[in-house]
Amino acid sequence: MYAHVKRLFQFGEAGGPFIGLILLCVVFSLASEHFLSARNALNILDQITVLGILAIGMTAVIIIGGIDLSVGSVLAFATMTLGWLMRDGGFPLPVAIVLAILAGGGCGVICGLLITIGRLPPFVATLAMLSGARGLANILTDGRQIIGYPEWFSELATVRHFGFLSVTMSVFIVLAILGWVYLRFRAGGRNLYAIGGNSEVARLAGIRVRLANIWVYAFSGLLAGVAGVALAARLDSSQPSAGFTYELDTIAAVVIGGASLSGGKGGMGGTIVGVFIIGVLRNGLNLLAVSPFVQQIVIGAVIAIAVMMDTLGRRRRG
Amino acid sequence: MFKKFIMAATVASLPLASSVQAHDQKYTIGLAVANLQADFFNFIKESAEEEGDRLGYEIITVDAGGDSAKQVSQIQDLITREVDALIYIPAGATAADVPVRAAKKAGIPVVNVDRNTQSPPGDTFIATDSEEAARILGEYVAEVTGGKGVVGVVQGQLGTTPEIARDTGFEKALANYPGLNTVEKQASKGWHHDEGVSIGQDLLQRNPDINVIFGRADALAMGAAQAVRLANVSHDVLVVGFDGDREGLIAVKQGRLAATMTQQTKLMGRLAVRFAVDLIENRFVPAEMLLDATLTTKENVDRFIEVHP
Repeated sequence: MYAHVKRLFQFGEAGGPFIGLILLCVVFSLASEHFLSARNALNILDQITVLGILAIGMTAVIIIGGIDLSVGSVLAFATMTLGWLMRDGGFPLPVAIVLAILAGGGCGVICGLLITIGRLPPFVATLAMLSGARGLANILTDGRQIIGYPEWFSELATVRHFGFLSVTMSVFIVLAILGWVYLRFRAGGRNLYAIGGNSEVARLAGIRVRLANIWVYAFSGLLAGVAGVALAARLDSSQPSAGFTYELDTIAAVVIGGASLSGGKGGMGGTIVGVFIIGVLRNGLNLLAVSPFVQQIVIGAVIAIAVMMDTLGRRRRG
Repeated sequence: MFKKFIMAATVASLPLASSVQAHDQKYTIGLAVANLQADFFNFIKESAEEEGDRLGYEIITVDAGGDSAKQVSQIQDLITREVDALIYIPAGATAADVPVRAAKKAGIPVVNVDRNTQSPPGDTFIATDSEEAARILGEYVAEVTGGKGVVGVVQGQLGTTPEIARDTGFEKALANYPGLNTVEKQASKGWHHDEGVSIGQDLLQRNPDINVIFGRADALAMGAAQAVRLANVSHDVLVVGFDGDREGLIAVKQGRLAATMTQQTKLMGRLAVRFAVDLIENRFVPAEMLLDATLTTKENVDRFIEVHP
């Protein structure tokens, strides 16, 4: 019996969290008749898209032993840049989309430079960006939201092709797969683990640690930009308050998925499971009409339990 | 009835009060706003500043960004700057009394807007009669649905005055229609648009028969309307909001929202400044001034978009 449990824990890198996710789904299916349906599964996928896109970038950041607190604010800056370029700048929307994503990437590059050249700890550099990018997001329109996107833009999030897949969801899925392949099979991706394990050793082994750092934060910023565009499509508007405290949900998802905040450990599979755990929890608790205050307690407890299961599981194995 | 009378009397005396301002006394009025991210507060701030400009007073505006602790510090700073009066729009779930106490101790009169404090209350209090407005909205829903329907509510932040008043008023109207019932409610954490989408989806998942959704604020209602679009439900869903902010009104015009209750936010800002001056100059000011909100549908939305009341 014990051997069985032990084997289950060894099921890939995301084994523990994956079992947790399945358990959650079973519990919600029993507790709510509305949970287990194709439509609800699509709702969940739709609700986690933005968080998922952010978590892809955060996974790389946490693997190299960093942290990115700025993603929620950078998302807001990108979503406001998008609306502002379209409405006040007169740019065609496709161009504005590209520029908004690049604006997010720009924020990431600045974080990367502050960390590598400026020698700031990642926590401090991205904390500064958290504040700065939020301010920029507000300045663009003096704190007002922007509406008036064309129909085709909001359809990116609302129209489900082949009956289930919206464009924003597909973007998330494609990015997740690319991230998984890169981290798992490309030398560049494997290098990130080496940097997170011991950056000095990695440097001596010939890995360009500084450059990799800048790339990783730029990548996280770019993805925050993509998430900002996806959120604008989902809400059919741009709001400067968007993404408030999303960085915490994102970090929680990555950590639930088995990544270690001290670096060198984690993976895309685990992160996606973590994202689903948070999405399923929120959705299931809403379906059960649980008050948002109780939801906060439950989510806190799940974060603690998930990480505990993971570390205890690893210790038994080791 | 008596309250209405006082209201009429005060409004009638307003032109008089402002014409008295011909003398060149310069007052400084502190304006502590709850959260400038919300259009509702932004309108109040803009109109208060315009009124200050027009009458020749200096308005010092501070924004708490929804954080009541931050607001307490900001008001302390305003008191230190020796403002002549304070206009206080409380941030957070409940109105903090501390700033009012501190201002009174310093001899500064306080005009509370939107939410009143308990002990002590402001020297005067200006707000929308939310309960009555929500009741009118409930009657509208009953009229459109013929008194039959399954209502889902995307609630605001639990425990806040607007959430409680809008709930009470709306349910008061629905109580008259046995075929029209609120079956599902789910609260948002902070009145946000994106919460409206997710909660709207989950409400429809919980009960696919829902054919009326009341978003307790326009942002929540617009989110819920988006959720209805996503859900592809076969029947019509009537989505109504509350506040009449800029985007809410446009949503009504486009038909995404069936109706909203437009609050007289600009009037609130103007009144706040005039009452502040009246208090400084020791004139009579009513303890409470409740303003009407107007049911806004496609028929009458244009004039509110043109000039916000």
